[in-house]
Amino acid sequence: MSSQNWYPQAGRNAHYARRQMLRGGAALGALGALSACTGAGKVASAGPAPRRPYLTPMRVTPDQLIDMKCCIRPVRAAGPNLGTQMIGDTLVVHNYGHGGSGWSLSWGSAEVAVGKALSVLPSEIAVVGCGIIGLTTAVVAQRAGLKVTIYTRDVIQRTRSFRAHGSFTPDSRVALSAPAGAGFGDLWEQMTRLSWKGFRSMLGLPGDPVVFQDAFALSDAPPVKKHHDADPAIKGAWEPGGLPLQESEWAHYMDRIKDLVPDPVMLEAGENPFPVAYTRRSSEMHFNFPSYAHHLLTEFYQRGGLMVMRDFNDPSQYGQLKEKVVINATGYAARDLWRDKTVFPVRGQTGWLVPQHDASYSLRYKNASLMAKNDGIVVMNNPIDLGEMFGVGDSMELPDPAPILEVMKIVEPIMAGMKGIA
Amino acid sequence: MGGLKWVLAGALTLAAVPVNAGTANGVYTEAQAAEGAAVFAERCAMCHGKQAEGTWEVPALKGKFMANWGRESVAALSDYLGRAMPQFAPGTLEPKDNGRLVAYLLKINGHPAGAKPLPEDHAALAAIRIDPLAATTVK
Repeated sequence: MSSQNWYPQAGRNAHYARRQMLRGGAALGALGALSACTGAGKVASAGPAPRRPYLTPMRVTPDQLIDMKCCIRPVRAAGPNLGTQMIGDTLVVHNYGHGGSGWSLSWGSAEVAVGKALSVLPSEIAVVGCGIIGLTTAVVAQRAGLKVTIYTRDVIQRTRSFRAHGSFTPDSRVALSAPAGAGFGDLWEQMTRLSWKGFRSMLGLPGDPVVFQDAFALSDAPPVKKHHDADPAIKGAWEPGGLPLQESEWAHYMDRIKDLVPDPVMLEAGENPFPVAYTRRSSEMHFNFPSYAHHLLTEFYQRGGLMVMRDFNDPSQYGQLKEKVVINATGYAARDLWRDKTVFPVRGQTGWLVPQHDASYSLRYKNASLMAKNDGIVVMNNPIDLGEMFGVGDSMELPDPAPILEVMKIVEPIMAGMKGIA
Repeated sequence: MGGLKWVLAGALTLAAVPVNAGTANGVYTEAQAAEGAAVFAERCAMCHGKQAEGTWEVPALKGKFMANWGRESVAALSDYLGRAMPQFAPGTLEPKDNGRLVAYLLKINGHPAGAKPLPEDHAALAAIRIDPLAATTVK
């Protein structure tokens, strides 16, 4: 489950400042000089004259809501568990606890886990779990030449992975800064860069498993960069087995990959199709669950993979598998199965509007987040004030439509007031 | 890598050395590996990454590295480095640096250091096998 954190933290203000300067009549030469100073990842050229894009308004009335989903992000304060342990004579390599970044880190995290498995030169391995982490791990292991059996109680379509938001948010609730430590940033960057390449290799495949599209952040006041300063009134911090107490405890790493992610740009008044004063356009990448799952499952079976449907209720059962190397990709279920109380839940829920293929963009306004995907427009209500603390400690996995309907109502007048080509 | 010639050479040499001459037994020194780290940083890291983590296009020298080189002889790895690496200037690694790099690669792949440095003699290197890691030692 991803948050609405679509934008790189860095570069936003630099861009905004540049656009403001242009509005103020500064010369292009000065823009170049400023760009050189900011060190931002990319520099937008002056380009053609502003032109308002024609966007089809989304239908956001309550009758368009066709599905509600809810899931729990499996967060570990120190970041995903990629450690190893022996159960009898079986080597278990863990690959779980990716918070809101499971989809986004899937290829890189699989590479790390499979690398550890390969170091004992097995010819076959088992993967437990068939969410996005388990299934990707299985395919990566097959690509490395291993025979793979997946043991799982559910196939991906019925796992928590399918109840996520599904956009590229690799540092969304992935760890808390202090317990993760300085070293995790390097591993995160390694996994993120590798995953990015993995997704790039899936762009344009039938069914569009991975898609880039424009995302618009709307506001009535000039957008400001969000800071994560600690609130001095809140005493203490996360302790083992507990929860973070405030947003400043969460780790943020997007600055590390700003060379990959296009910078957001403020739209000029003449090119803003929305009835708000400020609209910022960026690119987001997202995953269409049905076709993505189809591609991975197809490759898994074509490479001779076996899927065994079964549940586990104790780690000792891993030692009874015939494969002596097992990768554990059980997500939130690891909390109970492996008695890992360092996993804590962060609830997230999505509403799904009927698919509207002529409205292929994403939008944020106030607490509302809408993203058009192949299988529907996904709606979230992410309270801006709570940020990454929203849902922390909440393991209620039944959806509640009320907050979703609330943000649909906020967006209705926006859609009604959209303008065509200027 | 390998081929009949190597298999024969390995088999002939094996007859003359202890049976357990594998990397699990500590076949390089920490000092050698530390020197290798410096060579790596200068000659290898620009492609393979500071921590040998690789990229989507460039092989990591950890993880799958063991699947590629496990059960080969240390000589095969050393010869390959000397022959083919760095890819932009193959054959430019000093023989001494080769040995240091091999030591470093063994270290970052979980093989223990020992009291004696890797031998410089090719036949002796050919007698050392790159062992799979014991499951209990995988970190």
